[in-house]
Amino acid sequence: MAKAKKTEEYSKEFLLGLYRTMVRIRSFEEHAAECFTKGMLAGNIHLSIGQEAAAAGAFAAMKPQDFFTSTHRGHGHAIARGGDPKLCMAELFGKKTGYCKGKGGSMHIADMAKMNHLGANGIVGAGQCISAGSALASKIMGDDSVTIGCFGDGSTNEGSFHESLNMAATWKLPMVWFIENNCYGVSTEIHRVTNTPDIATRAAAYNVEYAVVDGTDPVAVYETMTKALDHARSGKGPFVVEAKVYRYQGHYCGDPAVYRPAEYMENALKNDAIEKLGKKLKALGVKDAELDKIKDEAKAEMDEAVKFADESPYPDPSEVTEDMYTADNERCVAR
Amino acid sequence: MAHEVLMPQLGLTMEEGTVSSWIKHEGDAVKAGDVILEITTDKLTNEVVSEFDGTLLKIVAQEGEDIPVKGLLCYIGEPGEAVGGGAAAAAPAAPAAAPAAAPAAAPAAAPAPVAANGARLRISPLARKLAAKLGVDASKVAGTGPSGRIVAKDIEAAAAAGTAAPAAAAPAPAAKPAPKPESGNLQEGDTVVKLVGMRKVVAERMLASHTEIPPVTQNIKVDVTELMAFRKMLLETTGKKYSVNDLILKATAKCLRAHPEMLVSWDGTQIIQRAHVNLGMAVALDAGLIVPVIRDADKMSLDALSEAAKDLATRAKENKLGADEYKGSTFTVSNLGMFGIETFTPIINQPDAAILGVCAIEDELALKDGEVVVRKVMRLSCTLDHRLLDGAVVAKFEMDLRDLLQSPMSILL
Amino acid sequence: MSKKLSVSKAIREGLHEEMLRDDKMFIMGEDMAVMGNVFAITTGFLDEFGPNRVIDTPISEEGFMGMAVGAAMRGMHPCVELMYDDFVTECADPLFNQAAKLKYMSGGQCSIPLVLRMPMGSGRRNAGQHSQSLEGMVCHFPGLKVVAPCTAEDAKGLIKAALRDPDPVVVMEHKLLYARKEDVPDGEYITPIGEAKVRREGKDLTIISWSREVNFSMEAAETLAQEGIDVEVLDLRTLVPVDWEAIRKSVSKTHNVIIVSEEVKRGSYAGELSAEIGEELFDELDAPVERVCGLNIVSPFSPVLEDQNFPHPADIVKAVKRVLNK
Repeated sequence: MAKAKKTEEYSKEFLLGLYRTMVRIRSFEEHAAECFTKGMLAGNIHLSIGQEAAAAGAFAAMKPQDFFTSTHRGHGHAIARGGDPKLCMAELFGKKTGYCKGKGGSMHIADMAKMNHLGANGIVGAGQCISAGSALASKIMGDDSVTIGCFGDGSTNEGSFHESLNMAATWKLPMVWFIENNCYGVSTEIHRVTNTPDIATRAAAYNVEYAVVDGTDPVAVYETMTKALDHARSGKGPFVVEAKVYRYQGHYCGDPAVYRPAEYMENALKNDAIEKLGKKLKALGVKDAELDKIKDEAKAEMDEAVKFADESPYPDPSEVTEDMYTADNERCVAR
Repeated sequence: MAHEVLMPQLGLTMEEGTVSSWIKHEGDAVKAGDVILEITTDKLTNEVVSEFDGTLLKIVAQEGEDIPVKGLLCYIGEPGEAVGGGAAAAAPAAPAAAPAAAPAAAPAAAPAPVAANGARLRISPLARKLAAKLGVDASKVAGTGPSGRIVAKDIEAAAAAGTAAPAAAAPAPAAKPAPKPESGNLQEGDTVVKLVGMRKVVAERMLASHTEIPPVTQNIKVDVTELMAFRKMLLETTGKKYSVNDLILKATAKCLRAHPEMLVSWDGTQIIQRAHVNLGMAVALDAGLIVPVIRDADKMSLDALSEAAKDLATRAKENKLGADEYKGSTFTVSNLGMFGIETFTPIINQPDAAILGVCAIEDELALKDGEVVVRKVMRLSCTLDHRLLDGAVVAKFEMDLRDLLQSPMSILL
Repeated sequence: MSKKLSVSKAIREGLHEEMLRDDKMFIMGEDMAVMGNVFAITTGFLDEFGPNRVIDTPISEEGFMGMAVGAAMRGMHPCVELMYDDFVTECADPLFNQAAKLKYMSGGQCSIPLVLRMPMGSGRRNAGQHSQSLEGMVCHFPGLKVVAPCTAEDAKGLIKAALRDPDPVVVMEHKLLYARKEDVPDGEYITPIGEAKVRREGKDLTIISWSREVNFSMEAAETLAQEGIDVEVLDLRTLVPVDWEAIRKSVSKTHNVIIVSEEVKRGSYAGELSAEIGEELFDELDAPVERVCGLNIVSPFSPVLEDQNFPHPADIVKAVKRVLNK
């Protein structure tokens, strides 16, 4: 695994920033779960509780001009990138005020204008090609942005992984793939269906650099991603980072995950990223009250997000045919 | 070649009949004079009798099917004999025999006859629309499209030739059939009975009358104490037992003669003044309702009227009325008195302009010279078509009829 | 003024003009750069525009189609070629789930201005995996626009229109049209997406068709004219959004319709059109709408068998007579 600089070497503010991001992601997810359980949300949601450190660390390394794609388990990415929890929550609620006007939902938060967020995606692996395509655009246009494709372990067995990584490598595209390996594709443990201990080693097949990192250590993730982004930005082609994480919930909210051995969650809780970083911060002299304040603020923020989403209007039924096409919309939709 | 058994024409106005049940079945031996099936027409049930000896080879018209007059019902012949135009021919509907009034409309000889009168037309949507627009009766047009389908040019040709325009040539759109009521879900024990014959006709006519006519029903009370005494006196003096209904019919006929304004019909755009007092008399049957007509009732003696009423009611119940005996009424009487009905709102039997409902005779206490006395009273419920008649006009008729019934001697004078 | 150009040269000219006009445009696909395409559609482009804008891809249809989507989301105008439309199944997800949907699913945040050219059609003796006409499949997905030109003029005009359209456009090009030399107007023009064209006026029956079958329909119409049957031929040119007004106008005039396409008949776009005409123009019809399509079989290899599979002018003549009962 890539070796992290000692945590103590980073400023307290930087570390508190990571801590705050992680706490906010978890609070958002817990609020979403509560709303789902209360029947306030339609459909399905996939929570990233246990993966907060990966998101916080990776997105801290990104530059404003960088682009990214996300997955069905993508709320944390949007929050870590600075997305507005109100607009995220409203999208989960199917409200007009959501990022996608209620047309995408939990699996499809996107924000092209502010976050450079090319969209979470409901198709496993779809973001791989799209992120590679965005990187191709950067190369053709000659800008200095890198595109980060975030996806999970399950999607690395899709053909799109290999097809687009091969092309990105051959054409030296400014692309970083950030794989959050939580070991489970729905119910299937990754090693039951994949022959390599680590996933990122597959990059070697395409002569692409890679690193494996502890996804419960946000500082380690930050460092690795910084290195990867520098690599890609400097014209050396793609980089693949694999962060080992835990998925506390089942695949979707409400999945009891009975297919998992008890040790999985025991290990997960032993390695809880928020707990671990909290301890380190306290060792650096941060008071309990300060950490509690961050948690209270996050809770208040997410309470507010739920309230905003709940009180927002649904889209008008007449909007159902809007946004299908940019040009000649009416005739395309009507016929 | 086997014999064809065709839908008979029963009465001048019959256009089609419904096969209600087959008495003989395919393969049964049949003798001339045997009843082979029952049909219901308009308001009657009739038996169709075989004219031939042989075997019932093939039933073409199924139970419940509406078949035009002269439409094919079945074949009778020797076992193994070919039926229809050849062994393969077994067209279910579309009788080979030309329907009664279908002149060849298309100028060119049509390749195949087109189903007419009731059977489903093979006609293109455009041709159907065009036929309505040009006032062409598409059922009388032969089709030249694939499989004999009537296509637009057939309608255009018919319109140009002027042959198939309907007699009335009314451009007004045909009255839309009322939307079917929700049939509702069947519940346990419910059964479904196909609407055939008389019930179907009653249903259609009552609905039409109810929806087309703005009705007003006016009730009037008649003291029939004297009438009942008069009836008793007639029995004692003549030995003849007249029913209350006979006396009411006689009084009504007489009163109508004095009120010709009651004898009118609505003809869509104009009013027809009827010359005759033809009294319809509603007769309840197991299968429905029929209204045989006593013609020129105002010119009949009480005796003759009583006889006619009895005869018509009896034959109605035996299904033996001629087709023309229940047509042509100008006013109708419907008597529910024997069932204890106090008042009701009879539905007008079109083309009449009014109908008189006769209700039960009951005892009532009344004051006479300061004394409480028992009187026999009866209510008359007269429904009028407010397009033709007004309340006051009918009220005068009702008052006169009441007065007539309250001084019964004048009924006969 | 006009000149004679083959359909493939007309497409080449259209692509070339747009490459010059639009520096956001790039061409991507198998054998597009060094070789200049198996039908020589992009010969010389690599030298002129460089490897950033004319890209040879590996045989990774899902990969490069998906990358085109990503690039389009970033404001590029990718023009992708699938060597055969049969390979659309290889890139079904990026085309149908991504390109077609992302605008809507993002609440209108992005357009996907990409063009997918896909050679299609029967008659080149390429058997079941290289001869299909998959209009029905492509037209099914809301979010895509679909054009299928027949003439050289329209092939150029529509590729130019497609490249300027902000939405994903699938251009279905019939392989057996490529070599046909036809008049192409001089100078700058486009053929608007969504406009059908009456190729031949007539009053007895409307043939609705597109792509190569338009030529067959025209041949059939000439044969029929000699027998006094006056047929109108409507070349749809664009399948989505279909020019409904043109269909309505023609059907309301002739009242009889056949739809001619090379597709497998079952589940075809021809069937969709037939249903729409039945629903909306029922009272205009003097006969059932008939489809003249391919058989419900796998496209066969042997010329003798393949010729049985897609409609020829004689089949169209027969269908017209059947509908008119002549």
